[in-house]
Amino acid sequence: MADFSSMKRRYRLIVPDDLYRRLDHHLFPGDHDEHGAVIVAGIAESKSEVRLLARELFLAADGIDYVPGKRGYRMLKAGFIADRIAMCGTERLVYLAIHNHGGCDSVQFSSDDLRSHQRGYPALLDIARGMPVGALVFAENAVAGSIWLSGDRQIELSEIVVVGRSRRRLTAAPTRQVSLSSPVYDRQARLFGDLGQAILGRAKVGIIGLGGAGSLIAEYLGRLGVGSFVLVDPDRAELSNLPRLTGASRWDALGWLASEKSPKWLQQIAFRLAKPKVLMARRNILRANPSAKVETIIGDFLEADIAARFTDCDYLFLAADTARARLLFNAIVHQYLIPGVQVGAKVQVDRKTGEVTDVFSVVRPVTPESGCLLCNGLINAAKLQEESISEQERRGQRYVDDPDVIAPSVITLNAVAVSHATDDFLFYMTGLRDPNAPTSFMRFHPRGRQVWSDEPRKSPSCPECGQGPRSRLARGDARRLPVIERTKVKTAEATESGIRLPA
Amino acid sequence: MTPEVQEAIKEISEAYPDCHLESVDDGQGGAVVTVQNIPLEGALYLQTQTWVGFHITHTYPYADVYPHFVRHDLSRRDGKALGEGTSIGTFQKTPAVQISRRTNKLDPTSHTALLKLCKVLRWLTSRP
Ligand SMILES: [Zn+2]
Ligand SMILES: [Zn+2]
Repeated sequence: MADFSSMKRRYRLIVPDDLYRRLDHHLFPGDHDEHGAVIVAGIAESKSEVRLLARELFLAADGIDYVPGKRGYRMLKAGFIADRIAMCGTERLVYLAIHNHGGCDSVQFSSDDLRSHQRGYPALLDIARGMPVGALVFAENAVAGSIWLSGDRQIELSEIVVVGRSRRRLTAAPTRQVSLSSPVYDRQARLFGDLGQAILGRAKVGIIGLGGAGSLIAEYLGRLGVGSFVLVDPDRAELSNLPRLTGASRWDALGWLASEKSPKWLQQIAFRLAKPKVLMARRNILRANPSAKVETIIGDFLEADIAARFTDCDYLFLAADTARARLLFNAIVHQYLIPGVQVGAKVQVDRKTGEVTDVFSVVRPVTPESGCLLCNGLINAAKLQEESISEQERRGQRYVDDPDVIAPSVITLNAVAVSHATDDFLFYMTGLRDPNAPTSFMRFHPRGRQVWSDEPRKSPSCPECGQGPRSRLARGDARRLPVIERTKVKTAEATESGIRLPA
Repeated sequence: MTPEVQEAIKEISEAYPDCHLESVDDGQGGAVVTVQNIPLEGALYLQTQTWVGFHITHTYPYADVYPHFVRHDLSRRDGKALGEGTSIGTFQKTPAVQISRRTNKLDPTSHTALLKLCKVLRWLTSRP
């Protein structure tokens, strides 16, 4: 059971854009009256903060669920509360009761509100079986909140962040004007404003895969002034990928050792000692922005402890193209409400004739409320299986006899996808994105000079992005991610005898 | 093993209570499973039963469970070759007939390793 006892951590509520729009419409239909609702939320904890992740919204019908109060003006009806809070207790979710006041840009609980909290919340905490419970009060463009923890402790909610199609922050009162951004960023701050530049400076971005596409993402975001990064990639530079890694030199791949003229053993030393791709990306970021914080992980994103380091990012870039990385990325986006994008370029070659059949770059935004990679058939079930078996098993499965085909790869194809993906990030983070802009997947076909956009489908029964009772959506730390679960036991492959089979 | 893999194994052993099931942890959260003495319905084959081996990986239930392996000496009564969808492979260092039946459109909410096993067996015993 999680320990919610630390008083120092800030509490934030993360709300998917579509849920926020429905709530806003319900609270402020233009009648200047009070309305009520409940949000149930998952929890994600880190050292510095607790994020409540809005999973489901229940609108209280006026006059039925939201009725004249005995003491205050209006109140949520006991039955409406009871059903929701019981659900929170069993599903380990946080219950948040919501109403609104008039006014805009700042808001606080009334003395009636505070008295009703004192009367009601200790009992609610009991029913919620140890889960925090809370209350939010909205005005237009403002929110205040109070979270109750067991042991009669109370914490103020520091802010709501709306994520997804468009991003915004709501607080109880307007925040102080930000300081002027560095003259280095003068030209771009003229577009994003000093506030926009400050948002980029505070943003934490995860980049999964620092090959051709990831290298460019790191370069662009470093130049833009993004403040903190988590980078993961297991690979080191090789001569054959230098043409696609920005800022790379032959030294990074130990070119003089690795060239084909060297003996095999020297090539192998070069292979082992060459510069890890994450460190090359870090070098580029720091060259652009020496004050950036860059965590580098030379390893596999699929390992549980590594994946966990991406769960408190503000945005994720998936630039590693395996089915397993897609599955995990897609899960983190929905489970932790972190918007992201999958980028890549593909050159399809006919295996028999060797002829190029198609060339394209893709940008697939994946946000908590949009249709996900799984619903859209972009996580291949057979590939997941093939990637999860051992080398030895692969050899045993004779029919997989085609040698590893080395896919063509070109820097400009990556650059097209990466430019669009980082643009999306930029306009999203700084609030300059048209809130009604489509979130379609985009494909760029350079041979025919064509651009296609595919509207992502969303399946309501999807176990990842769907709203069903067992879905992953906004479950936070309560749900296991689809990571590798390392066990210390002898593996099937390591067992000398293997499984005993009758002759 | 992940809870999903454990659940899948439990389901299979309950569906085949008379067939000895062995599972070996693959060290990544998945398991390599063998079910012994599964009856081969009908009279297509000379053999009346077989072991079936397969790997439920840590990405289950998102991953397809395939291929399946059965006894290497499986042979048809009519002397015909086993044919399309089958090949010679090895399972855990043991020679085996490999059955490659991919599920193209897989719904992880309803897809189970047991269902897949049943489908593969039905396919195997109802070959033309
Ligand atoms: Zn009030
Ligand atoms: Zn989905």
